[in-house]
Amino acid sequence: MKRNKFVVIGCGRLGANIATKMSEVGEDVIIIDSTDDAFRKLQESFSGYEIAGDATDLSVLENAYIKHAKTVVITTDSDNTNIYLAHVCYYVYNVPRIFVRLSDTDKGRLLEGTYIKAIYPFTLSLSEFMDQYQDGDI
Amino acid sequence: MKVVIAGGKHEADFIVKTLKEEHHHLIVINNDRQFAEYISINNDISVFPGDPTKAYTLSDSECENADVLLALSDNDTDNYIACMTAKRLFGVKRTVAKVRNPKNVELFKKLGIDSVISSTYLMAQTILNESSVENIIKTLSIEDEKIVMIEIGVEEDFQMVNQRIMDIPFPRNINISCIFRDPHVIIPKGDTRIKSGDKLIIISTPTEKEEIIDFIQKKR
Repeated sequence: MKRNKFVVIGCGRLGANIATKMSEVGEDVIIIDSTDDAFRKLQESFSGYEIAGDATDLSVLENAYIKHAKTVVITTDSDNTNIYLAHVCYYVYNVPRIFVRLSDTDKGRLLEGTYIKAIYPFTLSLSEFMDQYQDGDI
Repeated sequence: MKVVIAGGKHEADFIVKTLKEEHHHLIVINNDRQFAEYISINNDISVFPGDPTKAYTLSDSECENADVLLALSDNDTDNYIACMTAKRLFGVKRTVAKVRNPKNVELFKKLGIDSVISSTYLMAQTILNESSVENIIKTLSIEDEKIVMIEIGVEEDFQMVNQRIMDIPFPRNINISCIFRDPHVIIPKGDTRIKSGDKLIIISTPTEKEEIIDFIQKKR
């Protein structure tokens, strides 16, 4: 079994842009979202597949070739769903690289002991603020 | 036992009531403020209003090292997260999740939840069990359905167990042509005793079929 797919779950601003960028550099991208409308956020240059469905349903994930995924990026608007999906990708499908966006830094503790990588917009914004604030310090 | 009941509506109310009678140490968490109040008044117990998928709610409720946590909300994913948080961060010994999607039963167990309950799954299991009981009786019609052959398993609580065939008041038009008593095949005579576990092969007519099955299955 060859793992060559790049799966994105959640087509919000972040998910759509990651999908577009990875598609531009030649990755075989599949993006899942529960609503059809969400795919409008994808840019013209996106040339991957769109799958409308609830990713917490394993049949939807399997239709999106999760078994062939080398990377999965999870960016739905619910932290609980994101962690759950990350666990499913990790424990059930053994996807080699998993990235998950989390709003609540506390929730990251559920990823301890795994190689799942968490991205916290909160931490990034905070450090960006601190950097900019200190730069402007006269 | 220290029991945490997280989320849920009337099932939570019912479980609180049942467990309270048995004097368990109950911690009730409910995200729906109105319902939290209802459970609280109805059962004379304090209820923590809050989201049980958040670590600080579980921490505030002092659920550390509880014996069991039941996650009863209508959202399968939330129940999963509540169970995992309780187990991994608060040392709760056993976690039980209610799920709406029956496919999640096996999956959640695989992911580390101790018990997973789905009413649909239980219903399907019940139906499967019922139908396997029915399977004990197999019938085969021969000669244009003028003759039926019935295969029926004898269970230990049947009235005819340990009786001699000649002493059993069978209905008419019945012939026990063969008894399969693993590994033997017996062609019965009047003095053959029926044993529990026997498989009877009966020849009869279609009209008497139901009566015969009822007769054989008569319990002690």
